[in-house]
Amino acid sequence: MRVLYDLLIEPFSAPFMQRALLEVLLLAVPGGVLGSWIVLRRLAFYTHAAGTAAFPGLVVAGPWGLPPQLTALACGLGLAGGLSGLTRTRRVDLDAAIGLGLVLALAIGVILASDLYESGSGVDRLLFGTLIGLGTTDVWLTAGLALVALGANVALRRPWLAGGFDPASARSLGVRARMGDWLLLALIALAVVAALEAVGALLVAVIFVLPAATARLVFVRLTALQLASVGLAAAEGVAGLWLARRLDIGPGPALAMIGGALFAVTAGMRALPRQVAAAPSAPGARA
Amino acid sequence: MTAAPVVAVRRLSGGYVAGDGALVDVNFEVWPGQVIAVLAPNGGGKTTLFRALLGELPFSSGEIELPHRPAYVPQTERSRLDFPVSALDVALMGAYGRTPWYRRLSSADREVGRAALDRVGLADRSRSPFGTLSGGQRQRVLIARALVQEAPVILLDEPLSGVDRVSATHIEEIFADLSAEGRALLIATHDIAQARRSDRVLCLARGQVAFGPPDVTLSTDVLRRTYGAELIVLDESTAVAVDHHAH
Repeated sequence: MRVLYDLLIEPFSAPFMQRALLEVLLLAVPGGVLGSWIVLRRLAFYTHAAGTAAFPGLVVAGPWGLPPQLTALACGLGLAGGLSGLTRTRRVDLDAAIGLGLVLALAIGVILASDLYESGSGVDRLLFGTLIGLGTTDVWLTAGLALVALGANVALRRPWLAGGFDPASARSLGVRARMGDWLLLALIALAVVAALEAVGALLVAVIFVLPAATARLVFVRLTALQLASVGLAAAEGVAGLWLARRLDIGPGPALAMIGGALFAVTAGMRALPRQVAAAPSAPGARA
Repeated sequence: MTAAPVVAVRRLSGGYVAGDGALVDVNFEVWPGQVIAVLAPNGGGKTTLFRALLGELPFSSGEIELPHRPAYVPQTERSRLDFPVSALDVALMGAYGRTPWYRRLSSADREVGRAALDRVGLADRSRSPFGTLSGGQRQRVLIARALVQEAPVILLDEPLSGVDRVSATHIEEIFADLSAEGRALLIATHDIAQARRSDRVLCLARGQVAFGPPDVTLSTDVLRRTYGAELIVLDESTAVAVDHHAH
């Protein structure tokens, strides 16, 4: 028993680990609920870009005396607004516009960090996540985000569903699909900011994409997909924290390894029955 | 018939880009219960006309009188087949426009959705994922969605394109029913035989080539001016429009 306690419970005994545990469990709610929409609406690349777009904001936050969450949110909303404007006429493909935004954010962040400001360990922490840096404010911010995500999932379900199913005819249904799309992009930007401390700006996809993408391999109905995604995000979060503590690494990379492995195993198991079914019968099996 | 048309389009011109001229000087009226076939080559202005009627495209001149929002039935290929929606979910999207965001869909609307699926012959497939249905069944679900919208005018974008013969017959029977109960249908099609069975035919080739009863409108001369090189004349009474975009 003592061995099991030391192995599984003791890593979570420190107060900062308990705070981190609460943080990842709360993050699992928007991670699963919003993550399902991110996967269904094919916004995984945007989600990654929204995290990367926070980079210049994180660099200037310290020198300007502003909270990094605020400057990161400004960058994320700037990306969302820019994409919404660029793709309005459908002359610019969404992925191309995201790629442009991603490259610009990285370039501006690097120039600011190397030439204009001293970027210290604080920026590294926000880029890759931390266990010890999580404060009570982060937990409250994530709790608020969880409530907002649940509320938006109810209020915007119809425009997100109709707009995702068939964007061309959503408006003829009396649905404000374009406004719903913009709000989804803005909400993802907000979610990314809430996850900065825990998983890091460059690894936000581990909480907002990987669990839902894995659950999508198994579940077909939306509600089942969302419930499974929340459960998976919570389980991966707890396991990721444990691994991060054991290996003394950031929680973001630990979550990425666990989430990636689980996705690969699930995808492999889903593909296996199909391959067995498609395999030709053994020689002599037929009379 | 009531004393007023359900659609009146007068001297309509416009396009996606200012000066593009995808539509030039289009004039027609649609009365309750009428079935209008809209014939046009690819790029001839069908989609532009529908988007203008749906209020999604600002036009440069002319006017559209449309007292009620029309329902729109897109081509089934435009829908995401991997989206987690059942046939009933899709049909119920027709009730979204009249349900405030803070309310659940009413049980009355759910009943309307089930009745619409029953009407298109898919009551037993209401729980089936949309993506698992055949092309003809998917088209019927999209028609059920338009029925749930309870619109007096329905715009249909090539509803029989890529649909099997059984579903096509079923869909044409549904059109006859809807017409009999007073709904007006505007059907974009390349099928000249189908156009001959409609009440009026609107021929577009960017500008309006002709509008009138099929026996008057569907002359070889009008079809040639509409389709140009895309028209193959088989004999004096038979011509085929080649749809390069057919699936």
